[in-house]
Amino acid sequence: MSGKESTMTASKRALSAVVGVLLMVAVVGVVGFTLHSASADPHKKLYATKTAETIVVDGKTYPKATITMGVYADTAQAKEMGYNTINKKDYVQYGPSSHIVLPAHTYVTMTIHGYDGGEKLNAPFFGKVVGTVGGTMNVDGVDVTEIPADQVQHTFTIHSLPSSNRDPLFVNIPLQHVDEGDNGFLPTKDPGTNYKGHTMTFSFITGGAGEYVWNCEYPCGDGTYAKFGAAMSAYGYMSGKVSVA
Amino acid sequence: MTTLDHHASVRPVPNPSKSLITKLNMGTGLVVGVIFALATYYGLGGDSAGVFENYNRTLLATMFMWSIGFMVGIGAFIGPFRWLVGKDLTDEEQLYLAGDGQGIKRYFKYCTDHKVVGIQYMVGVMALLGVGGTMAMMIRTNLIQPGSKFVGPTIYNSLVGLHGITMIIAMIIVVTGPFGNFIMPIMIGAADMAFPRLNALSWWVLFTAIPVLCSAWFLGGIPTGWTAYAPLSIQAGPGMNAFIATIIIFAVSTAVAGANITATVVAMRAKGMKWNRVPIFVVGATMSVALAIPAFPTFMVSMIMTGLDRSYATTFFDANLGGSGWLYAHLFWIMGHPEVYVILIPGVAVLMEIAPVFVRKPLFSYNAAIAGFAGITGLSILVWAHHMYMSGWMPMLNGPFMVTTEMISVPTGLIFLVILGTLWRGRPWMKLPMLGVYAFLWNFLIGGITGLYLSDVPADNYLHGSMYVTAHFHYTLMGAALTGALAGLAYWFPKMTGRMLNERAGYISFWLVQIGFQVLFLGMFIAGAEGQPRRVADYSVNFATSDLISSIGAYMIGLGMIVLLWAVIHSWRHGKIAPMNPWGSKTLEWTVPYPVPLVNFDTPPVVTSDPYGYGKAGN
Amino acid sequence: MSDDHGLVEMEPTPGEKLAAIFKQREVRVATAWGVLVTAIFFVIGGWIYPSWMPTAMSTDMKSIERLIVIFTWISAPVCGIVLGFSIYTFLHRHKGDTPPADGPGFRTNSLVVGLWVIVSSALCLVAVVYGLIEMNSASAATAEHKKNAMVVEVTGSQWAWSFNYPEQGVQSHELMLPINRPVEFKIISVDVNHSFWPVQLGVKVDANRLQTTVIDTTPNKLGDIDVKCAELCGLYHAYMETSGKVMSADDFNTWVTAHQGGHTA
Repeated sequence: MSGKESTMTASKRALSAVVGVLLMVAVVGVVGFTLHSASADPHKKLYATKTAETIVVDGKTYPKATITMGVYADTAQAKEMGYNTINKKDYVQYGPSSHIVLPAHTYVTMTIHGYDGGEKLNAPFFGKVVGTVGGTMNVDGVDVTEIPADQVQHTFTIHSLPSSNRDPLFVNIPLQHVDEGDNGFLPTKDPGTNYKGHTMTFSFITGGAGEYVWNCEYPCGDGTYAKFGAAMSAYGYMSGKVSVA
Repeated sequence: MTTLDHHASVRPVPNPSKSLITKLNMGTGLVVGVIFALATYYGLGGDSAGVFENYNRTLLATMFMWSIGFMVGIGAFIGPFRWLVGKDLTDEEQLYLAGDGQGIKRYFKYCTDHKVVGIQYMVGVMALLGVGGTMAMMIRTNLIQPGSKFVGPTIYNSLVGLHGITMIIAMIIVVTGPFGNFIMPIMIGAADMAFPRLNALSWWVLFTAIPVLCSAWFLGGIPTGWTAYAPLSIQAGPGMNAFIATIIIFAVSTAVAGANITATVVAMRAKGMKWNRVPIFVVGATMSVALAIPAFPTFMVSMIMTGLDRSYATTFFDANLGGSGWLYAHLFWIMGHPEVYVILIPGVAVLMEIAPVFVRKPLFSYNAAIAGFAGITGLSILVWAHHMYMSGWMPMLNGPFMVTTEMISVPTGLIFLVILGTLWRGRPWMKLPMLGVYAFLWNFLIGGITGLYLSDVPADNYLHGSMYVTAHFHYTLMGAALTGALAGLAYWFPKMTGRMLNERAGYISFWLVQIGFQVLFLGMFIAGAEGQPRRVADYSVNFATSDLISSIGAYMIGLGMIVLLWAVIHSWRHGKIAPMNPWGSKTLEWTVPYPVPLVNFDTPPVVTSDPYGYGKAGN
Repeated sequence: MSDDHGLVEMEPTPGEKLAAIFKQREVRVATAWGVLVTAIFFVIGGWIYPSWMPTAMSTDMKSIERLIVIFTWISAPVCGIVLGFSIYTFLHRHKGDTPPADGPGFRTNSLVVGLWVIVSSALCLVAVVYGLIEMNSASAATAEHKKNAMVVEVTGSQWAWSFNYPEQGVQSHELMLPINRPVEFKIISVDVNHSFWPVQLGVKVDANRLQTTVIDTTPNKLGDIDVKCAELCGLYHAYMETSGKVMSADDFNTWVTAHQGGHTA
């Protein structure tokens, strides 16, 4: 090919290429780092408390652990109940963390305090208690196997990907709603009021180590299609991770 | 514009100093656009309203007003306004608008010169490809191992959707933008486009869509993928408004550009350039934009309806209130399938233009090439529901749609025949553009054959919605169409910049990209065949190997593209000075010097044959 | 494709022209490359491809596997032609910084174009007809299944599947099926679009709001099933998966008994 040679010497050109390419790789790296930081879990992990006790289920002995969570109608309520939320939006939310850590091969007893009202589940199946020891949960001292689909405030549903190397784990807990008529659920903006919610207690047995997710199956993303936008579709409010370690 | 037949070097720089048009540029556009946007946003109450519909309304209005404000600020409406009040622009003002003698400044103005618009499109496309490619790197980094450990599901879903729409927009304009505007008018012997002001309009309107699209990131992203299926799009957060506004603005831009290119080719061809003497690239580009003209409005309409559902609580797509998600799917794919050929045909046409030059043989069977393009164009509007085989919408019609879809393989086969026939018994000159022809043959073959499985209803029972589909359309859109566009870049770079593209960097980039491409997407075919759904942030361990392979390939492509970007920037500034016709081509754009004069030709050319008269026994 | 095409006085028959084409050495070499490529694609189609796919657990999945193999075989000669001729010309490339000398100036060859169109149309026809036959036999099977199919109502919700067995009065988050009994899935969504995909069964259909879609199949192999969602449905689309099992009739009855009456542990 004819034409004048470029003004740059070969060594300068090579330097320009190396510097240029590294610079552009760095730009992509910075974008990646920014996105990675932005998607970090919004809360500190919540660890289950191991106890010295053991329990025998179906002929096998398991160590025991406990963990307690709450679900709050909005940020103000969460704060009042002693949960220092760092969530940006004033959404309905689980606390004190969206990322819980459970010990492996353990009999985990979980307590969830629920302070919210409720309407009706989209999919009635999630009114059933699934995956707990004995197939039941305890609501304010009474054992039940399901909550009617129109009396649920939220659900706590743990699930996993199939055909993984982790053990299957599926737990579904419907939370009894707080009837606005009785002495329980009160407007959240009224200071000095103690909320009287319901307390759900249930136990399940974890398998080996693995990563799982949990989310709520109750439509509580108000004002959006199927009420599954807003809080429901924002990671860290009504959804999160479960690590079994 | 034909009155401007002075020679560039002797003509004084036009200086209509009293005219407003000399004061306006991209900067004033940005200022007025931002003022319009802020006034709209706060005028409508910002996000204080707190109600889903109100906030969506505010955001959509803000985005449209930004676009309109920018166009006002850059002076897009001065011409029509002056015409309305009966004081049309003077010749001197017209010349000023064409950017005559304004050097680098004209690239930041509402400039009517098709060559300036072509360069603007080229830089814009490179920026879009850069943004989309960066997002692709993020996607593959997240999928490098199971567990979604790099980004969470919100950001991952946004990455998938915004990578998709960014690349789709980039690919729609990647050939017809830079080469359709810069090269094509010269190729047909015209002085400019038929409607130079509309040409500037199409670019700057598109430009205003870019910040709107980027704003999706700051509004919480989009969860829907680029297909934006309703009702998920109705449920989505505020970021969805950015998607809607982008599509509507982009549809305006493509409609304007499509009408302009079609009119130019129909009306402005040089004397003697009969229809059977038009270069095949021009035919392909024209068919592509002509196909886009009916296709895009349905996308625009579907987005307007989505916007109304979201901001005025209409129920077009809400089945609970009498709407239908299938309605959206139809509107989307009536655009969506022609659209892939809008992307593909220009890329193929570039390669058909390149092959004869580098093999020194006539294009094999020009008529078959036209028949191939025409057949694809015609059939592509009858196949959309093959995207909906598994939607449950009327399974009875799956058979007919399978027939039309598989019929497309016949005109597509003609494309292979034309290129193979052109290569046959020649000695291909292995410069960068020619390498693109070979890469195309392999990639489009794989893309085409995997499309055959997907077009078949029983096989689609398994493959639909899997990674297999993702790999298939990347083979066609990226492996075929983008390869064509990059070959076009290497081919026309000397004419557009006056310098040769750095060859060594070009080869390094070519092999990194092409080998990385095979690694990435052959790995993805395997993931799909194994049963991995597409658009998943996390996956089961049994797909880990194929996903790891794919991610390695992606990094190779990323590196190769970065090398190419360096080569383009470096060569543009320091590359070898290019001769007038470095490849010895016979099309008209190689008969004009660099820099190309304002009106392209000193004397309008007269065409006496098609540009493929190579070969010993050729004419 | 010869240089003096059109100059011959006595027009030879198409058959003679074709024979003349294959007498050329370059055509033979390119064809040899093509045969090699075809053979490679035959191997990929026949053995490697199916090995990537999960175990077929129904006749539907089995016929998909067969169909993919046959389609790969149909397209193998196409790959052979395109790649064989590409490879040949690539091996005869011109190197250097100056353009090569002009090649032969032929502009078309109606015999080759005609043959190409006929062959590609024929291959396309084979694919279409084969696909239609498969579709037809699937719908014939559907009619047969209707008689004694077990109904499973599938509900897609963001982001989990649930299953209702009306005949047995059982609800579950797992898809349990007895072997060799036709099953009819009735699929519905309570919110956005999902796509019900029991991978090993080779069937798939979208879950739409207020529009029940129906698919059927007959599981014919014991083992695990992965149930996935194949339509992007929002935040946890990736996690909208569950497992299932094809079990013997006895095991299935045991499972049903254990889960009747709301006990779902």
